Amino acid sequence: MLEYQIFLDYWPMILLGFWLTLKIVLCAIALGIPLGLFLALGRRSNYLAVSFLATSFIELFRNTPFIIQVFLFYYVLPFYGLRLSAEYVGILALAAFGGAYFAEIIRAGIDAIPKGQLESARAIGMTDWQSMKNIILPQTVKIVIPPLTNQTLTLIKESAILSTITVHELTMTGLMVQGETFRPFEVFIMVALLYWALNETIATIMRRIEKSYNRNRKQSNKDKYTIDITKSSGLFR
Amino acid sequence: MTPPFLEILEINKRFGDINALKNVSLNVSIGEVICIIGPSGCGKSTLLRTINWLTPPDSGKIILQGDIIGSVTGKLTIKQNRLLNNFRARIGMVFQQFNVWPHLNVLENVIKAQVVVGKKNSEEAKIKAIKMLNEVGLKDKFDEWPDNLSGGQKQRLAIARSLAMDPILMLLDEPTSALDPELIGEVLTVLRNLVKEGMTMLIVTHELGFASNFADKIVFMDAGEIIETGAPREILKFPKTDRLKHFLDKLSITSF
Repeated sequence: MLEYQIFLDYWPMILLGFWLTLKIVLCAIALGIPLGLFLALGRRSNYLAVSFLATSFIELFRNTPFIIQVFLFYYVLPFYGLRLSAEYVGILALAAFGGAYFAEIIRAGIDAIPKGQLESARAIGMTDWQSMKNIILPQTVKIVIPPLTNQTLTLIKESAILSTITVHELTMTGLMVQGETFRPFEVFIMVALLYWALNETIATIMRRIEKSYNRNRKQSNKDKYTIDITKSSGLFR
Repeated sequence: MTPPFLEILEINKRFGDINALKNVSLNVSIGEVICIIGPSGCGKSTLLRTINWLTPPDSGKIILQGDIIGSVTGKLTIKQNRLLNNFRARIGMVFQQFNVWPHLNVLENVIKAQVVVGKKNSEEAKIKAIKMLNEVGLKDKFDEWPDNLSGGQKQRLAIARSLAMDPILMLLDEPTSALDPELIGEVLTVLRNLVKEGMTMLIVTHELGFASNFADKIVFMDAGEIIETGAPREILKFPKTDRLKHFLDKLSITSF
């Protein structure tokens, strides 16, 4: 039997944990995506040292378990005089882990743009960076939105691991409440629902962005587009 | 004696085992229209691409108006790179696959490089873009996306994009080869107008009809070498070498 009193008594505490998860994850994404872009461009760089460093970073963080990375950040950084609170360590670890994956997604997106696009930009006098910024990256955005969303959802779920280094985020809070109440079912239903709601919200927002991206590009082609809509949104879809 | 407008000097280029260009030299005078013909894989596109350093040659020199483009010795310095980009801004290039930018509409395609490379303000660039699009017959397509254009329209857009940079030289790499036969005419019309305006052009093409009517000179290449150069009539009517004869024979057979 579900004990409904648990929900009523503990939701403020659980929500507090959720609030911290939200803050940590948003910071990690805000750091991770620029880091990913930076690493992706670094990996493609003509300068061997730059591309070696970027590649090493990506491979290191892609090929080791996230929980080990968290432990390394948490226990090793202080040896080098870097004493950060568990929350900041968590943000850094998530950003590094996410950045490595974001980098590979962005790199694949860049590689998917036909070679002629870069050639025509270079041939008209653009520098490498101008071609990237004006011609290649704007086309890459559209391609990478779905996989970046996917990776972001993974990142949010991975943030649960930060409970192992005493970050009082959603999972940690759940564990604590469970310890007090011995009602794991009620507690983890709340925790799961909140993770789900967060991820579903982000997925929905990204779907909207993706759609509006496509719609803007088709503005001038209204006739064709209406036909497409009627085809794909009919009763039998 | 004044130096030629464009000097291509002893260009060599290898791709692995393939000798794509063997000691190719060619002079181009201002206002001259040169068509480069030859069997596929003979190095004609590579030659065109070495001129603006899109494919850096292994050895040799490209000299435009007395200035050397690029350098075959190692990586380009920052200064050489800046110089190269300045050259490229003044050398228009048109590709077989058009390479218009699909994330920008027609007008923006023509504006972009003027603003980014030419450092014009956007109003100035827009006026120029409208003028160029009118010239290639795309005046009712300003807001259209490239994906919705036909091949011929895309290629005309690509030409307008180059012309907006006020090029002193145009390089055209098989501009009509990817087009359906009924769309070739509209692109050739635009090129014909360019010839009339006195644009200096190097055109890699299979359109012998166009070449014979509008080229000042035809260059025949085979296996990475220039085999024959001459006026269209000489080349097409009185080929001197067997290789050219053979090539022209094959073309006239396949054109039926």
